[in-house]
Amino acid sequence: MALSFCMKRSAMDIRKLFVKKENEKAKPAQVIVNMVLALAAIYLFFMLSLKRLDMKLDFSLLWKFRIRYLQGYKTTVMLSIVSLILSLVIGFISAIGSRSNILPISYISRIYVQFIRGTPMIMQVYLFFYIVGTAWGISNRFLAGVLILSIFEGAYISEIFRGGIESIDGTQLEAAKAIGLEPGQTMRLVILPQIIKRTLPSLAGQFASIIKDSSLLSLISVIELTQTSREVSATNFAVFEVYMFLGLLYLTLTFPISMFTKYMEKRFSYENRT
Amino acid sequence: MKIELKSVTKSFSDRNEVLRDITVEEDFGALAIIGPSGSGKSTLLRILGGLILPTSGEVIIDGQRLQFEEKYLIGHRRNVGFVFQAKGLFNHLTGRQNITMPLLHVHGYGKKEADDVADMLLERFGLMNDADKLPAELSGGQQQRIAIARAVATRPKLLLLDEPTSALDPELTNEVLDMIKELRNEGLNIILVTHEMGFAKKACDKIFFLYEGRLLERGSSYEFFSSPKTPQSAAFLSKILEWNV
Repeated sequence: MALSFCMKRSAMDIRKLFVKKENEKAKPAQVIVNMVLALAAIYLFFMLSLKRLDMKLDFSLLWKFRIRYLQGYKTTVMLSIVSLILSLVIGFISAIGSRSNILPISYISRIYVQFIRGTPMIMQVYLFFYIVGTAWGISNRFLAGVLILSIFEGAYISEIFRGGIESIDGTQLEAAKAIGLEPGQTMRLVILPQIIKRTLPSLAGQFASIIKDSSLLSLISVIELTQTSREVSATNFAVFEVYMFLGLLYLTLTFPISMFTKYMEKRFSYENRT
Repeated sequence: MKIELKSVTKSFSDRNEVLRDITVEEDFGALAIIGPSGSGKSTLLRILGGLILPTSGEVIIDGQRLQFEEKYLIGHRRNVGFVFQAKGLFNHLTGRQNITMPLLHVHGYGKKEADDVADMLLERFGLMNDADKLPAELSGGQQQRIAIARAVATRPKLLLLDEPTSALDPELTNEVLDMIKELRNEGLNIILVTHEMGFAKKACDKIFFLYEGRLLERGSSYEFFSSPKTPQSAAFLSKILEWNV
């Protein structure tokens, strides 16, 4: 009797370790234990897969390429940052353009967004680089890469901005009019500050996409991280090590951004409580 | 102050005529525009404020004929104050910043002057403790009082208010109405759209009664409330006053 009671109790305790209460945050101890568990499970699955293939990984093969990796990493970061800035500009112009009363401007903006979002980036990379790039004499691959990536991401950022503008309450714009602001002032003093705050989480998320999408520029031999990895694996044939390491390197960039995005989303929802 | 409307009509593309041939001349200190919902009250107020254009007709305020082109209307909007039903404060600015924004960016005040004006108004209307909060952190009544402070900070001769209390809990309504009354007592000309019949009767000298886009009755508010002249206004009053204590 007493024994079965004890067992029941300990079963309850074990359950408590893994299951959080509804509508409550997991406790720190729960987070640590379960996170380790989850990572271990994933790790074991991969190890098992490798064992079935009878493979051994040797990451030391990568060490001698460290300078090239560093350069590739730097190029990816630079590509992403410059493209982020440029795509913000393109996205903003396109978002404003698509709402314009001047129809050709509105249609061009909409077609641009529809086309870019509706076709794979790989096709755009080839199209822009070999046709548009060649025709207009853009031979610098870094520059071409930045332009292609910015045009691609600009379409997504345009939609983020458009959503932000549309989420602004109509009375805000009417109030801007009522106090006598001119349209340009309304944009600068009312619309922009409100959408920047509101779209920051999505924009941060898009920055993570830019970093990942920049890998496709390896197709036109921009020597960023992915292209570096391709070259390294062509030299040492350590394909698995190279690509696992590549994934890890991208994670060092995207993981902090995704944490920042989560933080911003939380702060944003807190500030907008009423 | 005197307003004059000549054959003012307004139709929106998706609806019938919202205002039908309104012609009137009225001297007023405080004018209440009342009537059932959908009678065109807010539309009329927005035309007076230069926020929307009438489909046809003329509007003359204080001897000045409104020219219905954007350039002129921006100037007109700068000369009148406008208060919305709700959410008219800029979400991203604190109470104080809401008041100083038009002063700084429209009326050419320096930072110090604008802050002084804001402080004076905040102090006077008991809003000092809320000055540095965002609108989302303020009660509806505080929001509306700051919105009114913003509208009068530029010293307009005319203040337009569109149902300034209808989004408020009853206990917050009075603090807003008191503020409007106080401004009226100082000689500010006021036109307000309202459902607060007590305020229209006691604090406003004139009324416009709108019904289905027409101006059915107008004149002294005392007379209107003691002896409404049309069946529609009598019906409206008895309906709206039915549960009054």
